[in-house]
Amino acid sequence: MPPEFDPAAQPAAAQSDPAVRSVVTESDAAARPVSAESDPAARPAVGLLQLLGTFVRLGAMTFGGSVQSWVHREVVERRGWIDNKAFLSGLTVAQVLPGANPVNIALYVGLKLRGGIGAAVAVVGMVVPAFCVILCLGYFYRGYGHLAVVHFVLAGLAASGVGATLTMGIKVARRLPRNVVTALIAVSVFFVVGVLRWPMIPVVAVAIPTSIAVAFFANRRAVDVR
Amino acid sequence: MSANRLLGLILVFSPLSILSIGGGQATIPEIQHQTVMVHGWLTNDEFADLFAIARAAPGPSTLIVALIGWQVAGFLGALAATFAIFVPSSIVMYAASSWWLRNEQSAIRKAIEQGLAPVAVGLIFAGMVIVLRAAHAGALALGTTAAVCFVQSTTKVSTYGIVGAVAGSYLLLFALLHYMA
Repeated sequence: MPPEFDPAAQPAAAQSDPAVRSVVTESDAAARPVSAESDPAARPAVGLLQLLGTFVRLGAMTFGGSVQSWVHREVVERRGWIDNKAFLSGLTVAQVLPGANPVNIALYVGLKLRGGIGAAVAVVGMVVPAFCVILCLGYFYRGYGHLAVVHFVLAGLAASGVGATLTMGIKVARRLPRNVVTALIAVSVFFVVGVLRWPMIPVVAVAIPTSIAVAFFANRRAVDVR
Repeated sequence: MSANRLLGLILVFSPLSILSIGGGQATIPEIQHQTVMVHGWLTNDEFADLFAIARAAPGPSTLIVALIGWQVAGFLGALAATFAIFVPSSIVMYAASSWWLRNEQSAIRKAIEQGLAPVAVGLIFAGMVIVLRAAHAGALALGTTAAVCFVQSTTKVSTYGIVGAVAGSYLLLFALLHYMA
């Protein structure tokens, strides 16, 4: 059954009140806690079947270390289920904590939209179809893995995955606060991990506490001034 | 025998699940070490084959453990390995996300959110460079990357449309190159 038929997918609130929808699609973080966190009518706007359908398709059709970028595109850009800021913080938590990033980000999105059951649904959607596909591929690979055309198309899919990551990177980078410290942190993490190829864990272990401490004291100073 | 092998899979992969900080890619060398060197479940060549399949398959690349589990103990092995690699890390992620979503207004959370953002951006671009380098990307790959980024930034074409279009064009291009050669 297509997710569109889920009765919970289109609650009265979202249909009758266009403001609810438009607020959610905006990335304006200030407006969001009011509209989606404290207003219960806005929360079940995403049906469980709709959630499952989205993650089944994402899990079955996206490739090569860039799954989270496609998740960003579907969940933030196209459907407006959660805003950019919430996605980005979830993505970082997903990257920093143990576990496969696509599974972790699915869990976070599901949890945010529909609580524990949503988390389970999103993870199952992400893992089960991919699990079936990989076992089928394993079965057929022995027959067709030597074909040049297979490798050629796979390389193309990997490159499009990098394109999705580039799009997401540009979008989130443009929303960073414009100050020297933020830019310095972003550029040095990129340089040290991406160019120098230092192992990620120790780099992140230093960068994250530093960056959080900087933000914390900057916020406190801002409050003191006020 | 079979039960022993299932237990072995679980005992190897669940600790790796907790240790897999930084996502699946970071765990692959350790998975190889454990399954090839320590337990002798597969040869190096077999591992390389399974790794190629996992990279070609959709979804998280950590699902290579499903293929290893299959090789070691059949379908049940695939299931056991998949559960072992995803469940422990998911419990940790669930606990952390719950705290995260409950404390929307806390000053600590606000600072964590702001502090994480630039690190995330750095990691996103670093991951891109690493993938491009590992794939020995040429002009065609870079062109595809740029084209996908352009289409995504300027249109609302669906993910599936883009993936399908890229796969289709590459098939066509391959046929064309072959026809001319």
